[in-house]
Amino acid sequence: MNVLIGLITGMISGATPILLAALGGTFTFYAGVFNIAMEGMMLMAAFFAVLGSFFFHSWVIGLAFGVLGSLTLALIFILFSVKLETDEFVTGIALNLFALGITTYFLRQIFKVKGVFTSKSIVPVPQLHIPFIEKIPFVGPVLSGRNLIVYIAVIATVFCYYLIFKTRFGLRLRAAGYNADSLDSSGVRTSRIRMQALLLCALFCGLGGAFLSLGYVTLFAENMTAGRGWISLAAIILVDGHPYGIAAISLLFGFFDGLGLFLQNYGVASQFTAMIPYIATLFALYVYAQRRREKKRKRV
Amino acid sequence: MNDLIALHNIVKVYPPNVLAVDDVSVSFCKGEIHSIVGENGAGKSTLMKLLYGLVPFDSGRIEFGGVNVRFRKPGDAIAMGIGMVHQEIVLIPQYSVWENVVLGAEPVRTLGRIDSRTAIDAVRSKIEEFQFNLDPLAIVDDISVAARQKVEILKLLFRNVSVLILDEPTAVLTPQEIPQLFAELKRLRDRGHTILFISHRLDEVLELSDRITIMRKGRKVATVEASETNKESLATMMVGRQVIFTSKRTPHQRGELVFEAQHVDWERGDGLKLLDDVSFSVHAGEIVGIAGVEGNGQFELVNSIMGLEQPTRGSFLVKGKDITSLSILERRKLISFVPQDRGKMGASLSASILDNAIMTHHRLEKRFSRWHGLVLDYRKARDFVDMLKERFSVQMASRQSDFRSLSGGNQQKVILARELLLATPFFLMDQPTRGLDVGSIEYVHGEILAMREADRAVLLISADLEELFLVADRILVMHRGCIVADLMTEKTTIEEVGAYMLGGRASA
Repeated sequence: MNVLIGLITGMISGATPILLAALGGTFTFYAGVFNIAMEGMMLMAAFFAVLGSFFFHSWVIGLAFGVLGSLTLALIFILFSVKLETDEFVTGIALNLFALGITTYFLRQIFKVKGVFTSKSIVPVPQLHIPFIEKIPFVGPVLSGRNLIVYIAVIATVFCYYLIFKTRFGLRLRAAGYNADSLDSSGVRTSRIRMQALLLCALFCGLGGAFLSLGYVTLFAENMTAGRGWISLAAIILVDGHPYGIAAISLLFGFFDGLGLFLQNYGVASQFTAMIPYIATLFALYVYAQRRREKKRKRV
Repeated sequence: MNDLIALHNIVKVYPPNVLAVDDVSVSFCKGEIHSIVGENGAGKSTLMKLLYGLVPFDSGRIEFGGVNVRFRKPGDAIAMGIGMVHQEIVLIPQYSVWENVVLGAEPVRTLGRIDSRTAIDAVRSKIEEFQFNLDPLAIVDDISVAARQKVEILKLLFRNVSVLILDEPTAVLTPQEIPQLFAELKRLRDRGHTILFISHRLDEVLELSDRITIMRKGRKVATVEASETNKESLATMMVGRQVIFTSKRTPHQRGELVFEAQHVDWERGDGLKLLDDVSFSVHAGEIVGIAGVEGNGQFELVNSIMGLEQPTRGSFLVKGKDITSLSILERRKLISFVPQDRGKMGASLSASILDNAIMTHHRLEKRFSRWHGLVLDYRKARDFVDMLKERFSVQMASRQSDFRSLSGGNQQKVILARELLLATPFFLMDQPTRGLDVGSIEYVHGEILAMREADRAVLLISADLEELFLVADRILVMHRGCIVADLMTEKTTIEEVGAYMLGGRASA
């Protein structure tokens, strides 16, 4: 029983950062921005969340710093790709490299450590205990006592669905991606919608990154996102940006993530268990490509 | 009549020195359909874009309802009541009709939620008001091009525009869809809307308009009442010289059998037969036309002949040689080909004129390469382009300019010249005059007839019946993948061919 609960809670923790980053990426996906900077945005957020939390002894400020860190990256993205019209792919690569470089640099300059910074002064984001539900056997320990950001991610999923498919902003957002000329000729500036999409993306990636360093663990390690931003990109493409689909895919990756950690307890080498989420990504892409080819064959 | 819009001495110069609109003054009245005609590059579209605020003008002024206006961006024009439907339809295919119509002016409730019921009702009442026969809930991707065009117009009417500018709206429609559009436009006019209609199809313009303004090389030639003019005088004003609309075809003895299609079938993946037992032949010195409503197998036939698709049954023969399983390059040694899409299959728009002119030649002819085909001989290629330019009088800035920089007529001249200069017995042309102006069409027709004189076999696929009657010796009609008629041009009428096209009439 405890093993099962452990696996499920591990799955939820593993899924949360991918879910948040992918929800963020959904906005740019629909807005027609080829945004691959989720990885960098999360890494910035993870670092600055630790920085804020460490110096101000407050997880609230930590979260705020994290989001600001990832917003900074989004602003650079906007400057280059929306205003100066550079190639989005190149800009994204550059920003990811920049995020890796600057967080590593600050880690060494500010905290004078290499690799990992951990301290008792870093205040993690608290867990939320829900009264009554907490008491229910099995369901209680799964639903209650999760990190605050986990609950935010659940609400965010519904919120994103509503925003994208039910509101005026959503209609315009998707229009920007489907046919920017049509949106422009309808009197709405596509560039403005794309900026808003990038800022929203940064907000969610910020929460995801902050969860990594103030929730999942309480420390900052160089390149601690370890490809989660890329996995989130794969998740978006797999389900064509549908928030609920993204939630399902994220849970799947979370499961493999948790499974990896779990298997380590049984003596499987960590080098192998660490591969699992990435192999799962490749496998999911393969299945997706097969399915799409099948669909195409039927249509023609 | 009261002038609603008056343009005074409008000048537009595209840097460095292209005078696109040269001192044009024209006025449009409330409640009229006013056509602006001219050849490609005559400045008619530019003039409308200046009015609409898409392009700024250099001097002159525009009066709208008695006040001077100058729109900085399209939104300004729409807010004042002037809307424009562009040549390419810009809608969102994934959205429904009503979503497209309200985009940018959506009614919302609390929390930014779209008030879809109000929106759908509003769109539906507009559709009824103008009798547009559209389903507001239909997805744009599923509806016809003609219906999409209506959605574009509806989108502007939803924003309460009183002036509609339409840039060659019939270019994307099939012949059957045009009368309906015209009826709707006339209904709009009768309700007090002003319609500015850009076109170079003179028959349509004469049928639709109240008044016509003719432009040539950036200048206004004249504004005339449609009832007081005719096609010949419009064409003369447009081109600046007399245009002959009657055939210059002279009797010509046809020669040996060159091309043959034998029982060709082509099935789509889902089993639908798009070509069904197609057999016909083309002789040397003969022009065979294929008529048919688009989508009745012409495209598949062309692709099968050129080797882009493999027929499921049957074969093609050129001079007795079976080409059905040959590679495309092998086929190109026997077939010259002018595809319907100039910018995609006919040429590479971003490559230079020189590159485009020697395409295919560089593979088939040794003289363009050295070192056994490893290196192109650019000196020879340049000579070739100069010769081509001279012989076909192509207007180009330089050999190295992008193909894109040529006008439509000159693009087609280069493609036509390239294909003509291939030493092939068989010439396949798919809609060779689509989108060209009167002068260029006349040129292309002249070249097709010259090929016949040179005893080449020509297969001409065209949606334009008048074109077929002008140049073809024999007209085949395609309907649902079958050839339903084989008629000698001299012994048939447009009406008979039209009946076959629509009904595939078996008896007659």
